[in-house]
Amino acid sequence: MIGGKIAFASGMLVALAGGWLAFPRILYQTRLQPVNFSHKVHADKASAKCEDCHSFRDDGTYAGIPTLDKCSGCHAAAMGTTAEEKNFIDQYVTPNREPQWLSYARQPENVYFSHISHVKLGHVKCEQCHGNEGGTGGLRPYQWDPISGYSRDIWGRPVNRIALRTEGGMKMDDCVDCHRRQGLEYSCLGCHK
Amino acid sequence: MTTTRRNLLKFVGGGAAGALLTPAPWRLITDAALWSENWPGIPRPARGEIRARFTHCTLCPAGCAVRARCVNSQPVSLTGVKPHPISYGALCPWGIAGHHLPYHPARVRQGPVKEALAAVARAISQRGAGERVAMLDLRPGRTVSWTYRRAMAAIDHGLYLAPRQPAYSVDLAAAQNVVSFGAPLFDGWGTPGNVFAARANFRLVQIEPVESRTAALADVWLPIRPGTEAAIAAALAGETTIAEAARITGAEEEAIGAVKEALGSGPSVVLAADPASPLMSLNAKFKALGHTLIARREAPVPDAWKKAAPINEMAATPDASIRVLLIDESLPGGYVPWQEIQPKLAPNAVVVVFSSSSEGYARHTQYVLPAPVYPEAVEDVGPAIDTVAAVFRIAAPLIAPTVPVVNPGELVARIAGLPQTDALHDRAGAIHKAGRGTLLSYVDGKSTPMKDVKADDFWKTLNQGGCWMDSTEKKAAPGKLEFRASAQQPHDDLPLAVVAAEARRGGLESPLMSKLERESNLRLSANRVALSPADARANGIENGGRCLLETACGRLSVVATIDAGVPAGVVEVAGGPRMADLCGASPRARVVRA
Repeated sequence: MIGGKIAFASGMLVALAGGWLAFPRILYQTRLQPVNFSHKVHADKASAKCEDCHSFRDDGTYAGIPTLDKCSGCHAAAMGTTAEEKNFIDQYVTPNREPQWLSYARQPENVYFSHISHVKLGHVKCEQCHGNEGGTGGLRPYQWDPISGYSRDIWGRPVNRIALRTEGGMKMDDCVDCHRRQGLEYSCLGCHK
Repeated sequence: MTTTRRNLLKFVGGGAAGALLTPAPWRLITDAALWSENWPGIPRPARGEIRARFTHCTLCPAGCAVRARCVNSQPVSLTGVKPHPISYGALCPWGIAGHHLPYHPARVRQGPVKEALAAVARAISQRGAGERVAMLDLRPGRTVSWTYRRAMAAIDHGLYLAPRQPAYSVDLAAAQNVVSFGAPLFDGWGTPGNVFAARANFRLVQIEPVESRTAALADVWLPIRPGTEAAIAAALAGETTIAEAARITGAEEEAIGAVKEALGSGPSVVLAADPASPLMSLNAKFKALGHTLIARREAPVPDAWKKAAPINEMAATPDASIRVLLIDESLPGGYVPWQEIQPKLAPNAVVVVFSSSSEGYARHTQYVLPAPVYPEAVEDVGPAIDTVAAVFRIAAPLIAPTVPVVNPGELVARIAGLPQTDALHDRAGAIHKAGRGTLLSYVDGKSTPMKDVKADDFWKTLNQGGCWMDSTEKKAAPGKLEFRASAQQPHDDLPLAVVAAEARRGGLESPLMSKLERESNLRLSANRVALSPADARANGIENGGRCLLETACGRLSVVATIDAGVPAGVVEVAGGPRMADLCGASPRARVVRA
């Protein structure tokens, strides 16, 4: 009888350990960004602001990750002595090859999201959805869920999605939750046009 | 502890219970759902740079300005252009879904081009004395229409045919009272944005037997007996008494009197479902000519084009006189029922139709050649019925044709031996040379007087999103209005008046729209008719039951919808070529149980 309880408890412990510790490690595949870009260096040394590179076009659409043209404007030649910058110039600027950045916040194609209405009208801070990316010294690895095809940032950092209000996530529930908290309208056609 | 089968099962049971207390199974359920969205075969728009491109919708003569949201070069959504002075940023539901059409499963994808050309050449060379080569253009007023007219002028005994176009435009913004005899003002009549922009300033009286969408949105709906519009018109014109009109039409005397009073109280306009209807002559009586009903103006054309063939109507063509008939059905337009065309064809006539849909003339002709569909085709859109100024706007293609297509204008020009030139560019040159009007650029929303625009910039702006508009300072009364009385034959055995539920005439329709509107019965699909409960009961027809719609032109198996909103004595049918062929020439019918 006791042996049976031990067997049951052992199975439970193995499953709990597997589910909480091993599963997140198995679930995500890690990929490195093409260049270890430092937001902090650009903010501190070049006094760059978020919107200098992540700008809105004249028609209000959001340009997203800057293209090589934008980077080449300053980095046609090396401005510093770091190996990262030298690598960037040699690998991308000189051969005019666009870096294949991995977007942490890439949404499905059936989602319409307007940055300008959230940032300019709603006064939502970039950090609220994207975390404190602007203050980091390098780009964190991109964690990809091969089953769903989306990045870990969409689901949110904690695999159990508990206490997400502090960690953030970019699933539909998160959008709805934020709109609900702020007393704003939300409907299917708001995002799925 | 010994390893027994029972302990092993308990270990597995414990594992299963433990797993439920971890995020793993719940997360896998969500992920599996997302994974299923990415299966092969599920269409996904390409990733890429998002940008806006501009064009004009050619799905109806309104030609609304369109802003296309494109991923790389692929349009993924269409909206209106907000600062536009004619379309006011509005698009109708068909326009919003227009970018689906190139991928329509029912699209004409191939055709016997070489065989058609050989048959046309043979027929032209072998035709007898007096036999004609005719071009039927369902959407006259375009630049390619001028190409057709020039081509027919170049061919011996060439004949350019088109549905009659009104010689007038309606200035809704100048009207305080609009009296509409069944004109679908809010359902495809003019430019949607323009009509709704003017709506607040006019009072609409809708006179028709059925409570259409326009009647439902009108200030007053005056229901009358089918086919009695002329009696109301006679009373409004003072030719008969109001009491007599009330007796014939079934409308109330007070209501007719109120309409007459309103028409005389301020700037008014009378509209009819058929722009060439004699009902339009009421406008002269109520002094609308030159005020709310003005001369239709077209953009200038090169001088060399003015020797083009004149515009003729199918009805005026002698029977059995057409040896070769070319039909441009690439854009939905004024469909001429096949029963009107057939008698005009010589016994061994060759008929070639350029179309993207197999629903229209493709059902009757030997040679169906695939035409480009919106937004693949380069076209221009002439002024709509509610466009006061002459306009020139190009529908620049948003995508390359998805199937091998034939350009009707080029092919007809080739048959006629016309030099291959870019007619749109030539016409833009003529407009620029005239030097009047303004150019509106959709990219920056700026209007520039033409005298300040260089020829190259004009052409570039027209193609990148722009519209030339003539000045609207001088309003002229239309020339002599010609009307066509409907020649309806009485049919005692056809007791029901046919009323089309919508003005839409042919062309492909986005499958999304079919799903939303037709399958949910918001609009009648081509195989449905709507009947009053009394008529259904009299004929033993049940709701959803199969029945036969019979007219003087033939019969069609349809499904009946019993609708208490349809008055007795009326059968409501869908728009489109199939119904036009069956009911267009003879709008009387009967419905019998199948």
